[in-house]
Amino acid sequence: MSKEEKNTSGTFMQVAKAVLAAFMGIRKQSDLENDAANLKPAQVIIGGLIGATLFVISILVLVKIIVNLN
Amino acid sequence: MAAVHGDVHGHGHDDHHPTGIMRWVTTTNHKDIGSMYLWFSLTMFFTGGFLAMGIRAELFQPGIQILEPELFNSFTTLHGLIMVFGAIMPAFVGFANWQIPMMVGAPDMAFARMNNWSFWLLIPAALLLVSSFFVPGGAAAGGWTFYPPLSAQGGLGVDMMLFAVHILGASSIMGAINIITTVLNMRAPGMTLMKMPMFVWTWLITAYLLVLAMPVLAGVVTMLITDRHFGTSFFNAAGGGDPVLFQHIFWFFGHPEVYIMILPAFGIVSEIIPTFSRKPLFGYSSMVYATASIAILSCIVWAHHMFTAGMPTVGQLFFMYATMLIAVPTAVKVFNWTATMWKGEMTFETPMLFAIGFIFLFVIGGFSGVICAIVPIDIQVQDTYYVIAHFHYVLVSGALFALFGGAYYWLPKWTGHMYDETLGKWHFWLSMIFFNMAFFVQHFLGLAGMPRRIPDYALQFADFNMISSIGAFGFGLTQLLFVYIVIKCIRSKEPAPEKPWDGAKTLEWTHLPTPAPYHSFETPPVVK
Ligand code: HEM
Ligand SMILES: [Cu+2]
Repeated sequence: MSKEEKNTSGTFMQVAKAVLAAFMGIRKQSDLENDAANLKPAQVIIGGLIGATLFVISILVLVKIIVNLN
Repeated sequence: MAAVHGDVHGHGHDDHHPTGIMRWVTTTNHKDIGSMYLWFSLTMFFTGGFLAMGIRAELFQPGIQILEPELFNSFTTLHGLIMVFGAIMPAFVGFANWQIPMMVGAPDMAFARMNNWSFWLLIPAALLLVSSFFVPGGAAAGGWTFYPPLSAQGGLGVDMMLFAVHILGASSIMGAINIITTVLNMRAPGMTLMKMPMFVWTWLITAYLLVLAMPVLAGVVTMLITDRHFGTSFFNAAGGGDPVLFQHIFWFFGHPEVYIMILPAFGIVSEIIPTFSRKPLFGYSSMVYATASIAILSCIVWAHHMFTAGMPTVGQLFFMYATMLIAVPTAVKVFNWTATMWKGEMTFETPMLFAIGFIFLFVIGGFSGVICAIVPIDIQVQDTYYVIAHFHYVLVSGALFALFGGAYYWLPKWTGHMYDETLGKWHFWLSMIFFNMAFFVQHFLGLAGMPRRIPDYALQFADFNMISSIGAFGFGLTQLLFVYIVIKCIRSKEPAPEKPWDGAKTLEWTHLPTPAPYHSFETPPVVK
């Protein structure tokens, strides 16, 4: 954990990217190693839960739009 | 850590002392407990299989021949419960017990005594389920999903079933906690999370799903029990309750549950395919991520089991889209296995045959799942044989085939003897033929409108039902061959080669002798 410092800088995007990659199920090995070195498990878990919430909300919005079309 | 190691070591000396039955009753050794789980699940597999043979015998011809309708319903109900909770789930826990400590370089499971308790809880539960056939009123007959109002009625048999489900749930939760703790705390130095074998990863994620889903099941069972005995009306419309509430809670458990039964199967297949392709798993990290995302998504699709129960359009569309999207990470896995085999130096020993059979047939089950997810189609096929075909493709040729493949793969490590390769191949091919014969035609039956859970049917369904029954009998008989192969392997005099699979890369093959010693890693290996 020598990269502790890095944890605070620019990780939001990295968490977001990792979570998005997870939802599609595709991730490059090098990116993954970066994730493993820089992200804390708690970050990934919270990121995953936020991602899931956003996922639910976006399907809901989509469904509402479709239902209101007719 | 030190305390854990010391503790296990302490047991080591005691464990060798009790002999005969007491060795098994008091054992805290992960291999002993793993073996007991596996034998238990094999026994339950044949118990549930016996019920399946009864169902298929009755359905061999139209009309009522062997089973009275009430008993027929008990057969389908207990067949489902016994196969799900008695055969498939304990079998995977048995694999976890044997393999996880060896694969992460640990001496044993983290909570050795709790491990013993979670196994022995299974026995009273199994006895309750089986003996409920012989109490007044007979066994539960409302389906393995025990929806009220049917399960609110019914006699002692229903209570015995509910109690059994409670016990099995408790056992599963303890098993899951044990697995999580072992994986997170007892890995050998250097075994980082991202170096763990895929089987361990899938089990870690499954264990979290179990901890999430089983308490929900316990909750719904408790509500049913209080409705039955203590005057509550959670699910009783006459008292202001709502039977549909039951379906929501049940399936909030139930859909994660189906992934609980398939993720460890993905794990086993992800060990076998690289070994026999002699290539590392393609996209290991994608696999880890896809498994995690399947686990999360599996919690938001439950109402696809309830499209005909009445739901606003918004709800139907939501669950339809969410369900269809979950097929994406699942498809990524199929892609990864195929890419692993691509240009590999493949050989086709029995474990590999089962793994390839798994991929092939699981894809069919996945597709029929997506078809069921489309609301206008599901309104037609809900509660027909189409759904039966779907989930037998994912559970039998999915979960069960992976278990067979894993058993052949690790039998040499477990027993120190090689199984009979020729017979293993026979087992695979006969299973493959008879399985498809039994279940593929059920797609046609379902599309033609044959309802599930009925002992009699209209004449136009006769031919396909006969084909299905013959296939089912063949499949059932073929499984006796598996028992013979296992016993022959255990009794064999010839020692297995140290490393029968030259492509195997995981710790149990590279760092432990064959057969595996009673205590896996008394000093942890160092993983580079
Ligand atoms: C591609 C992924 C999958 C999709 C899209 C899917 C979709 C569905 C849908 C929509 C139903 C409800 C059908 C109905 O009742 O009308 C269903 C039923 C079922 N599925 Fe799946 N499924 C998938 C994978 C699986 C897996 C992996 C398993 C188990 C290992 C499984 C086990 C079951 C079971 C047991 C039922 C029937 C429950 C019952 O009513 O008794 N499914 N599936
Ligand atoms: Cu489902």
